Amino acid sequence: MNLEMVGNLVRLRYKLLWAKTRTRNGKIALFVAGYLLLVLVLILMGAGGVGAGVAAVRSGKGQSVAELVLSGLFLQALISTVMLGFGLGAVFSETELRRYPLTARERWLARHCIGILDPFWFILLVLYLGLLFGMYLVGNVSLGLGLVGLVVLFLANYLAARAIALVMERAVKGKTGSLVLMSLVILLGFLPGTLAPVLQKNHALADTLLGILRFTPPFGAAATIAGDGAAAWSGLAVELCWTVGLLGVLAALEKRPPSRARAAATGSIAWGGRYDRIGGIFGPQLAPLVAFWLRFYVRNNRFRTLYLITLPVCAFLTYNLGKAEGHRLHGQNALFVAALGAFPLASFLGTSRIAVNQFGYAGGALRRMLLLPTDPAASLRAGSYAGVLLESTLLLLATVAWVVLAPVRGDIRMLFMLVASGSTGLFLFHGAALWVTLYGPRRGKYDASFGNDMSLMANILVVGGALTCIFVPQVLSGVVPASVNPDYWWASIPVAAAAWAFYRVSLRITASLFEGRRERLMAVVEGRA
Amino acid sequence: MSSQSMPQDAIRISNLVKQYGPVMAVENLSLVVPRGRMFGFLGPNGSGKSTTIGCLTGLLDANSGEIEILGQPFTAGSAALKRRMGVMPETLGLFDPLYAHEFLAFVARMFGLDEETTRKRVNELLAALELTDAKKTLGEYSTGMRKRAAFAAAVIHSPEVLFLDEPFESIDPAGVALLKQWLRRFTEQGRTVFITSHVLETVERLCEEVAIITRPGKLVWQGDITVLANDGAIRYDGQEFRALEPLFLHLTGERYADLNWL
Repeated sequence: MNLEMVGNLVRLRYKLLWAKTRTRNGKIALFVAGYLLLVLVLILMGAGGVGAGVAAVRSGKGQSVAELVLSGLFLQALISTVMLGFGLGAVFSETELRRYPLTARERWLARHCIGILDPFWFILLVLYLGLLFGMYLVGNVSLGLGLVGLVVLFLANYLAARAIALVMERAVKGKTGSLVLMSLVILLGFLPGTLAPVLQKNHALADTLLGILRFTPPFGAAATIAGDGAAAWSGLAVELCWTVGLLGVLAALEKRPPSRARAAATGSIAWGGRYDRIGGIFGPQLAPLVAFWLRFYVRNNRFRTLYLITLPVCAFLTYNLGKAEGHRLHGQNALFVAALGAFPLASFLGTSRIAVNQFGYAGGALRRMLLLPTDPAASLRAGSYAGVLLESTLLLLATVAWVVLAPVRGDIRMLFMLVASGSTGLFLFHGAALWVTLYGPRRGKYDASFGNDMSLMANILVVGGALTCIFVPQVLSGVVPASVNPDYWWASIPVAAAAWAFYRVSLRITASLFEGRRERLMAVVEGRA
Repeated sequence: MSSQSMPQDAIRISNLVKQYGPVMAVENLSLVVPRGRMFGFLGPNGSGKSTTIGCLTGLLDANSGEIEILGQPFTAGSAALKRRMGVMPETLGLFDPLYAHEFLAFVARMFGLDEETTRKRVNELLAALELTDAKKTLGEYSTGMRKRAAFAAAVIHSPEVLFLDEPFESIDPAGVALLKQWLRRFTEQGRTVFITSHVLETVERLCEEVAIITRPGKLVWQGDITVLANDGAIRYDGQEFRALEPLFLHLTGERYADLNWL
């Protein structure tokens, strides 16, 4: 095993990361990321991991709290990687590594060493270790065995995330993959809400479930830290079994050649498709461009997946947040308040990745757009119109779903407020996305199904936007109850109008700035900056 | 505009300067390309060829200098002039998720062709360039097929001036022969072709006139090279050059490094 070569590749990955900081944007990103990391580590070490550890021992239920915390972290890591794409960036693909004199095993090791040394996984490890140190400070736990248990758990977590991501990546490339994924999201989304009342009533079933969970890696790790003697060693054995099993699954999956990603084959040349007809709405100048952007969106695997799961995710959020808030609001309007956040979320989630980085996935094709005999910013506008158009259809579907399914559907004022809230999100997000497209571009792979390839600015907009949608209505319902009261439905009109005005102004200003930014954009999307 | 009233020069560059920050890419370049010529634009790597083409096609903004295409001042916003130009950029500029016919139809419609003409020309170009596999998107094409698709996009609207950045690399000999035949007919009709290439033999056989630049975008020689095709020689600096390669090496100062371990 040529470990020196593997080490060189790991070092090269960090050299490349460091090289990015030579640019102005890189310096800003480094500063923000470093600051966030420091704050996060301090907060989580203090209040999260260590705090949880201290609380676990003091409560006298050390192992139970450890099980809960570790399971939560384990699941959060899976969701963050599989759903949001953090920590799965492929710095070197198998094909790229084949250029070097490495054996298959060395290439495998190099890829996963680079993968597991991603800053995202580093944060997770810090959290895991925080819990151990917290418990060690106030309790009588074995630091050595606990440390081994957590490192094995960390490995299992990484391997599980990689394996699940790979399975999902393969699935979404197939014809029915997106639908299967949507069904899974619906199932997983509604399962906790449906299962909780059943478990509360049926203690025997809860005990059985708990017994099964003892054979999972987080429970195994908790036993290793807080258990005594044989229990600790059996916990470690459970973890090791999982790690070896996941390693085998991942190796088997990676051995299987992936099916080639392919857009729907036409078989013969088809003229005047639906995209051209839809594009025609925007007039002869923009029609071909809008039609192009619609194809660009619709043929993207990740867009298709996100677009399909958006409504189920929003329904899940509405249902669960509405249920959680039901007690505080005495059941009144709780579902409606949650839906006020879910509607704007539905208006940008599907198109988000491409909307915030319109040209990042076009690569050298950006030049083609600039060579067209039209206003240079026409492609920017057309791309934005295509995104708004696609999301509008989801907004329409969400409205229909609310009318058909919601228990309070009779109130037309609520419906009006929901549509206004959705439109506000639609225009605010797509307006802001235009700015991010110009000032926070990043070169991305169009075909990549996983990995977070958005710039820092884009991440702030998408993740921040989603969090805003989830929490702002809840906060407003407590601080300014009138803002979510259907009696004041008319107040949503100026808000939606302001969002629309912001979108129009953004379109106009970014279009005028586009020409000046085009050289920089070309350099970024072609990988020269 | 009748051919008599058309300007004699297809491209006229005066004192073009392009800098990337402190780095000078093109320094005071002046160049005239007559109409109806097959014009080769040569230079070593990093000499500013692509930057010059970028400025000539509106992709880049020059820091100073003037560009005239077909007798009119040209800037990035010159939409009417762009309609009369065809460009095959260095990066090919293909939209990978599209099928070849969708891509060509898109380009044709953007350049103002009506639907009927678009369909006719797309079908003819796809057949001629053997791009008829409708089951493959451009992203699934081989390098040579991608190059053919980019070439088709550059000529679909019958431009008056054609800019081709390394057009023949990766295309098979039969394909190259076809493209050369089209390009010769193109110039016979009074249209202009502006080619950059590192394959000097191809340029020597195809082009009538050549400009050679060296770092940073400085013109060192421009002249007629048709004499080389008739076994003649180009005289320069007191020497006779019977092929383009020795002249190029002499002008650009490029030398082979002698590595004794290689």
